Amino acid sequence: MGDIRPVYLEEKLKEVEDSGRLGYRSKALPTWCPGCGYFAIVDAVAAALCEQCVPYEDAVIVSGIGCSSRFPFFMNAYGMHTLHGRALPVATGVKTANPALTVVAVGGDGDGFAIGGGHVPHAARRNLNITYLLFDNGIYGLTKGQTSPTSATGFRTTTSPYDNTDRPINPLMLLLSYGATWVGQSYAGKPEHLRRMVAAALAHRGFSYLHIISPCVTFDKTHRTYVNLGTKIRELPADHDPSDKLGALREAMNDSTPAIGLYFREDRPTLDDALDTIVEKAGGTAARERVIQKQAGRKTRG
Amino acid sequence: MSTDIQIAIVGSAGDGTIAAGDILRRAMAEFGYRVISFDVYPPEIRGFGKCIARLRATDEQAYSLKPQSDVLVSLDDSHAIPHVNEAREWGAVIYEGGSVGPLAEGTHISAHIDPGQIPYNPPLRELSEKSTGSARSRNIVVLGYIAGLFRLPVEPFLRALNSKFKSKADVAKKNEAALRAGYEEGARWFRLDDVAFGPPPAKDGGATVEMISGNAAVVRGALDAGIDNFFGYPITPATSIMERLASEMPKHGTRLLQTEDEISAIAATIGAGFTGARTATATSGPGLALMAEMLGLGVIAEVPSVVFVSQRGGPSTGMPTKTEQSDLNMAVYGGHGDAPRIVIAPTNVEGCYRCGGKAFEMAEAYQTPVIVLLDLYLSNRYETVPFPAQPPFEADMNRYADTRGGKAAGFKRYALTDEHISPRSIPGQAGGMHIATGLEHNELGRPNDQSAMHTAMSRKRHEKLKAALKHPDFTAYKRFGDAGPVDVGIVAWGSTFGEALEAMILAREEGIRCAALKVVMISPFPTEVVAAFMADAGATLVPELNYQGQFAGILQAHVARPVTRLARVTGEPMEVGEILAEIRRLAGRTPAQQAA
Repeated sequence: MGDIRPVYLEEKLKEVEDSGRLGYRSKALPTWCPGCGYFAIVDAVAAALCEQCVPYEDAVIVSGIGCSSRFPFFMNAYGMHTLHGRALPVATGVKTANPALTVVAVGGDGDGFAIGGGHVPHAARRNLNITYLLFDNGIYGLTKGQTSPTSATGFRTTTSPYDNTDRPINPLMLLLSYGATWVGQSYAGKPEHLRRMVAAALAHRGFSYLHIISPCVTFDKTHRTYVNLGTKIRELPADHDPSDKLGALREAMNDSTPAIGLYFREDRPTLDDALDTIVEKAGGTAARERVIQKQAGRKTRG
Repeated sequence: MSTDIQIAIVGSAGDGTIAAGDILRRAMAEFGYRVISFDVYPPEIRGFGKCIARLRATDEQAYSLKPQSDVLVSLDDSHAIPHVNEAREWGAVIYEGGSVGPLAEGTHISAHIDPGQIPYNPPLRELSEKSTGSARSRNIVVLGYIAGLFRLPVEPFLRALNSKFKSKADVAKKNEAALRAGYEEGARWFRLDDVAFGPPPAKDGGATVEMISGNAAVVRGALDAGIDNFFGYPITPATSIMERLASEMPKHGTRLLQTEDEISAIAATIGAGFTGARTATATSGPGLALMAEMLGLGVIAEVPSVVFVSQRGGPSTGMPTKTEQSDLNMAVYGGHGDAPRIVIAPTNVEGCYRCGGKAFEMAEAYQTPVIVLLDLYLSNRYETVPFPAQPPFEADMNRYADTRGGKAAGFKRYALTDEHISPRSIPGQAGGMHIATGLEHNELGRPNDQSAMHTAMSRKRHEKLKAALKHPDFTAYKRFGDAGPVDVGIVAWGSTFGEALEAMILAREEGIRCAALKVVMISPFPTEVVAAFMADAGATLVPELNYQGQFAGILQAHVARPVTRLARVTGEPMEVGEILAEIRRLAGRTPAQQAA
């Protein structure tokens, strides 16, 4: 607890304004409950986009449905707020059609691992060159507190009034085995770490998956509170080697005391690369160049 | 002398029936005849099911197959016997003439041939064995026999054969020998005066005529319209659309991806549409059911996308290799909420080409999903199509907003305008940032569920589509037959229109005043045109391939007049004779009057 220091509002405001990252925030204020972990994520994503100088109009934020999926409305960028569970396939279409765009898919634990669980393996194995931010609060918040695939066993919710009997899934292990080329975890209660991780995920060329643990301050007063999470969460060991997949899996298995940091990264041709290779084999003109030129032609009025 | 000859080849899976039919239609197309051809085969990859290859060669493009064939070929008597009646009087029946072992009574086709039909019984097996060393080329021998019998030049058959087996030189060589053996045998026999090929029609200037399938025509339309992206999941009978695009699109530098399911296919299609790309997916009924929710997003977020749907039979898995027109209600109404979309249904292979390209124009012009509705009969049938020298499609029909100097987050993507269409912006366009959302929204695209806003936006989404009925250079509907008042008016859609038109032509030859209205655009519905057509008709007949009479139901939701439904679910195309009988009944012609 030694790193806690007081923050003064005026100082903080000045720092944020000077950074330029407010430009990436829309005028719409987040609709989340006071104290929600997701506020930190908006700020982290704005900061990361700003750091990498992504023009507002070249960023596309794609989401599904849920508390977290309201995210695109709070950003000053293009966005698609789609259907429950379908952020990844929509993002696949956006990125494939225009590889020059910076595409970020966002969604919650129910969106990504219940209704949309069938899409995650395919985005990962294709190495779709986007960033997937998974906001995991272990509950369905927007519909007022039902069990999710990452809810703890024994958790009582409105749909499991006699305890949740299912065991939670382990998203990190899934993503590692699906073949994601960048797998990391962060915590909404550590905004600095979060910002660094989002920036690193955005910088990765390939499918980057960042799992963000967050409390739900409204519907979970027992399991994922700031107090509980704050005492349980640890950093990955300093000697963890992100190129060691088995080591990453071993760390991911320990989900009782989740570790934050970069679990795994590797370089592999992206889906864009693969599609370009196919065009070469067929003797066509480079798809990426053609697509980018065509899109550029279409936005001349912009 | 004009040509109108229909040939049917019936055999068992493994006899080479479909291959023979393919070579025959390629040869006929090369001669310069107009061809329409449709094969029937069992759903199993291996087995002994019945296969039928049919083709009709004419001077003018025919609208459908004829009720009766001029030539019937049997490669397997057990399958061909039930089809002997299909050969017309004075038509030819060609079957194996070699000696056969003891047979149960009635199992040889010769016992079933009508005295009015002309039998030909060449020794197919023997000729195949002599020329190639095996009996497997009976199908090719019989093609040569047909060429010889009708005194057709053998070269187009040889070219069709060699192009079909171009990767297997030895097979092509053996088959050439089989073809020549059959030809010599056929040329020895007297020629049927009643079934004779006239000279092929003169070539059109400008257009190139090619024989292709409905699915191939859709692909050609999509390529000619400049398709940028395709996302799909295999399903019969739409798969060949994706297969062809998979080999063609990379040559154009464009991208195709096989997705994990149909939900992802339409999701990615809409994602790509958001970026301004021309983008499509293709599926059949089961896949369209999975896409219903996402199509609703396309409607409310006003994102262009194209969905090619080839219908098959029945609910659930149903009859994957049979044809039906029973997904119309789902195409027009499928999904929750008021989710209007454009639904167009081509009626022949040329229409598949035009709809295949025009769909992209419409998706852009009206900012909405466009469903192009085919069925197995249309997807898999072959016709000769004249392709114009220049593709008849506009390269870009988007209405882009001028967002220069636009204020951040101030772009009204869903501006309410007089024509209900809002100028759009696409990612990469500065000042045009907005969120495409499935939530009801205001002009800025921000969530808004106020009564007045939902009313205004619902009106916008419905009213903007009406302009599609007058989409430039597109035939949304067309009247054929007698002008003015008629005894019977037929309103038909999709693949069944061909049979309806053929029946109408035959009814007019019998002196019945008759007209047919082709409806290509079913949503939005051309209410005024259909109402005027029906006001002219003593009775209105609606033939279609589904049990409920789905098109008739949609029609009556728009035009409150009685119609006679001719709804059939045989899994096969509608029979011309059945439509004709219904026309006669409605025109007050009893069978006795007919005979007189």
